[in-house]
Amino acid sequence: MNKITLRNALILALGVLLQACSGKASLLPAQQSGDAPPLPTARSFLVPPMQVPRYAGWKQGQAPQVTAGLRIERIAGGLLHPRQLYALPNGDILVVESNGPGSEPVTTPKQLIANKVKNLSGKGRKGGNRITLLRRNGTAGGEWEKHVFIDHLHSPFGVQLIGDSLYVANTDAIVKFPYVAGDTQITAAGMPFIDLPATINHHWTKALVASPDGSKLYVGVGSNSNITENGIDQEYRRANVLEVDVASAGSRIYASGLRNPTGLQIEPHTGKLWAIVNERDEIGADLVPDYLTSVQQGGFYGWPYSYFGQHVDGRVMPQRPDLVAKAIKPDFALGSHVAALGLLFSDTNALPEKYHNGAFVSEHGSWDRSPLSGYSVVHVAFVQGKPIGAPEPLVGGFYSEDESQLYGAPVGLAQDNDGALLIADDVGDAVWRVTAASP
Amino acid sequence: MNSRDVPHRSTLANAIYGLLNPLPFGLFVGALIFDLIYVRTAGVLWNKGAAWLIVFGLLIAVIPRFINLAQVWISSRHLAGRADKLDFWLNLFAIVTAIVNAFVHSRDAYGVVPDGVWLSACTVILLSIGHIVMAVQHSAAGMSAHE
Repeated sequence: MNKITLRNALILALGVLLQACSGKASLLPAQQSGDAPPLPTARSFLVPPMQVPRYAGWKQGQAPQVTAGLRIERIAGGLLHPRQLYALPNGDILVVESNGPGSEPVTTPKQLIANKVKNLSGKGRKGGNRITLLRRNGTAGGEWEKHVFIDHLHSPFGVQLIGDSLYVANTDAIVKFPYVAGDTQITAAGMPFIDLPATINHHWTKALVASPDGSKLYVGVGSNSNITENGIDQEYRRANVLEVDVASAGSRIYASGLRNPTGLQIEPHTGKLWAIVNERDEIGADLVPDYLTSVQQGGFYGWPYSYFGQHVDGRVMPQRPDLVAKAIKPDFALGSHVAALGLLFSDTNALPEKYHNGAFVSEHGSWDRSPLSGYSVVHVAFVQGKPIGAPEPLVGGFYSEDESQLYGAPVGLAQDNDGALLIADDVGDAVWRVTAASP
Repeated sequence: MNSRDVPHRSTLANAIYGLLNPLPFGLFVGALIFDLIYVRTAGVLWNKGAAWLIVFGLLIAVIPRFINLAQVWISSRHLAGRADKLDFWLNLFAIVTAIVNAFVHSRDAYGVVPDGVWLSACTVILLSIGHIVMAVQHSAAGMSAHE
């Protein structure tokens, strides 16, 4: 073989390689939102689209940007990876400081590299494994009082108060604590309530919400893989919403095929259960949109066999056409790889009226998308219990303009007793509070 | 390369080459076998095993390939025959194929099929031809030595 042929062959190979690597998104999240998002053809990659801004954190006095008519202030800083917020009836706010348990073994060469790349963003830093209580200290403005409320938890995420019992969903089990309003610390040991799927914990968060009458707990359990690469046998009771009877602690699968249901909430008008779900990666920057959906009892939402109804995913073997046929199409797409991690329904609040009657969704952002998408808090308007229009961003500015540095990333949401929107920021280790600019 | 004909080549380099050069071939053959089993069974451990075999095959190939590069084109190029050069190119293309295959094997689950299987087969075929070419050259050289 002569040198010119060799050079041509190398150039051709390099060209194929580069083409296979490039996977820039062509649809904005808003263009891929709603009940009928455009879905391009799925692609295979040598290297999936990847963009990870480097961790920078917030500088003194720096804050996320809010849209006109809103005001943002920091009410807590110096937290250990705050993931989730929960508003107690007396106005105290619980901040769950947590991250994954790090129990997922490295079983492929890809994980060695991908884990290092993903952790550059600061999203992989160790969590506090505790719950901190924030209390407003009389004077308006400034940071709130911080108290370590419950310590020594195991990658906690969901929190729910029913009566005088506080349920905390660790990654491997729900534990129950006695709650006394006004206390700033619980020293009693948690009572084991129910075990949760805990092998591998590829997706480790266990979201939690109670039924309106407090008789049931709904638990969001994420899948143990992106798309069954750890084996279908590892998906037992995963990618499900479980329903737990509070009186008996008996549980059943309430809905399935929900890849990673990270936020569960009850829609206030209909009393129905809704979830935000993170969809699969590595088949394109514009696939698959993460979504917001009502969760029907016994419903199957596609994962792993199909997405958005009957769009079959060829990476799963054996295929299950019988399940694909009955897959429910989710109600509302939020955009691909926005990584929705916080959900809050709010009828009325201390924000302008256009942010009433709907759901706030925080989007944590993903490694599998270029240019970046997510890294914002959006509002989805609801009419008669159904989402309408496009998600409207209200908080952003979590990364630098050139997309190279990451200051923060929004996660859990809550509403305080004054109607302000609270946002946990697990990269910036802070809690932010959003209100109307002029009351 | 026929070591009996190459007194000018470094003994140490020849020893290292002789020790390491067979290993990637074995690992790539193992990867192909695992791939074929994965296609039939969809058992994910076969797929993950194949991914590791390809990566280790590539890592171990680095040193013998550089020794071969130096011997064929630089230090002993006056001794390198057509078979040596052909073997070099076959190995180079096998390595390029294996590198692409390592990326294909980073796909999740059955996304590796069928591309990964074809690439594993190409790697093994290229290396097999290289081994046969060198073996035939050795026999020919051996016969001519006896004549």
